[in-house]
Amino acid sequence: MVILQEIIHYIYLIMSGFFGLLLVRALFKRTTRTNLVYDIVYAYAVIPFLLRALRIR
Amino acid sequence: MTLQTTYTLIAMVAVFVLCSWKLKSPEISMVITAIVGALVAGFGFPVRLLVEGTLTYLDLALLFITASLFMNFYSEIGATNALIRGMVKTFYDKKWLMLFLLAFVMLVPGAFTGAGSVSILVVGGLVATVLEFMGFPPERRAAFVFITAILSAAAPPINLWAMLMAAGANMPYVGFNKILFIPVILTTIFAVFFFGRGTKARPKSEVLANLPPAAKGMNWLRLSLPFVLLLLLIFMAQYQPFVIPVIGLPLTFMLCALLVILLDPEHRSLKRWWTVATNTIETVFPLVATLTSVGVLVNIMALTGVRGLIAINFVTLPIVWIYVTALLFCPLAQGSLSYGSAVILGVPIIFRFNSVGVNVTVVAAALSLMFPLGDCLPPSRIVGRLSIEKVGYKGSYMQFLKAVLVPWLFLAALALCMLIFTKTFVPLTK
Repeated sequence: MVILQEIIHYIYLIMSGFFGLLLVRALFKRTTRTNLVYDIVYAYAVIPFLLRALRIR
Repeated sequence: MTLQTTYTLIAMVAVFVLCSWKLKSPEISMVITAIVGALVAGFGFPVRLLVEGTLTYLDLALLFITASLFMNFYSEIGATNALIRGMVKTFYDKKWLMLFLLAFVMLVPGAFTGAGSVSILVVGGLVATVLEFMGFPPERRAAFVFITAILSAAAPPINLWAMLMAAGANMPYVGFNKILFIPVILTTIFAVFFFGRGTKARPKSEVLANLPPAAKGMNWLRLSLPFVLLLLLIFMAQYQPFVIPVIGLPLTFMLCALLVILLDPEHRSLKRWWTVATNTIETVFPLVATLTSVGVLVNIMALTGVRGLIAINFVTLPIVWIYVTALLFCPLAQGSLSYGSAVILGVPIIFRFNSVGVNVTVVAAALSLMFPLGDCLPPSRIVGRLSIEKVGYKGSYMQFLKAVLVPWLFLAALALCMLIFTKTFVPLTK
């Protein structure tokens, strides 16, 4: 169970990284909300995902 | 000290109003408000606290993304179309049963994702098409989609307002299932009868001809298995916690999404699933951004003492005043702060009721039914706007609000009753 729990923990890190990368992609290439305001919103919304994936926070 | 905090609060409110008006984005308005608040309070530009704030609701953001991914994958394999087609084939001649099934279909995606907008995006268009053939006028179609969407967001197992309030008030998100389910079902029944009155349906053949064709190879097994797995994992986690490891809802949804890929009758390419995932991220982004921004705002409000000021004012408020004003402030706060309203307004109200020994689960449930009422109010109007767009309603927004009004008041009255007569509803939290 402990090993399984550890694996699940790593899966969550990978998930955060994957969604972070999807958000980074959307920051540069997206079809909706294409104005500058949302460039900024995308830029800071990526932060928590990347920090979690890199195990900084 | 109180004066300094009051100045900060006034500055923050002014900046938020100005930014919402000029930038048309509640998300960035919240972050700018937070930065200005920190500057006015004399904390400069607290980078660490701003970044830490973005992480506050990361788990909820993950939940949103994975749940939407699951629903969109499910929709991609044609399961939603097949479901609606099957329902029309079997139940179209029984008007009321058909309407209840449509309401149920609307309730499911939002109930599992916590976002009414997901319900509208996944099934709203199809439901509106069927309603059109059932003789619903445009404003009533938009109103039906809107009301069922906000009810889906409030429905268990995932009610984001209740979750945020529970997290803010350090209480477990436990005991909410029955107390949320019953008011949602009562309002759904009322709304179905209210909207369905006096409509005259067109022939079934015409409806079937206008619905998208069912996917090849789609059957009831493929339709039901993902939800069976979802329910199984949720129930196992709740009732057999020592048998399986703690998977968490985001991973549960991801497992279900993977099962949907395996069940795909047309075996779509990886590229197609990638496109669906990128589209989902774009669709769900406003919600993710709102959660990130709310985290930043709440962190800075705590730093500057503004959150404490609001909390103190609520804690010292006579309870009667909360009864009188809750139905005004909760929806209005939702209209401007979106999910942030639950943390900024909901948590102090919970503390107030807790201080007089009232069951806070009932209070949180009642408030979480009041907040969605503001989803049609400016400046954000997220769910209201989406309903109109998806249905293709071209009339005035006021006309839409009028169509929504009666079920809106019904839900409001129910929520207020729960808030006033808390003791009566306590058995539902067990």
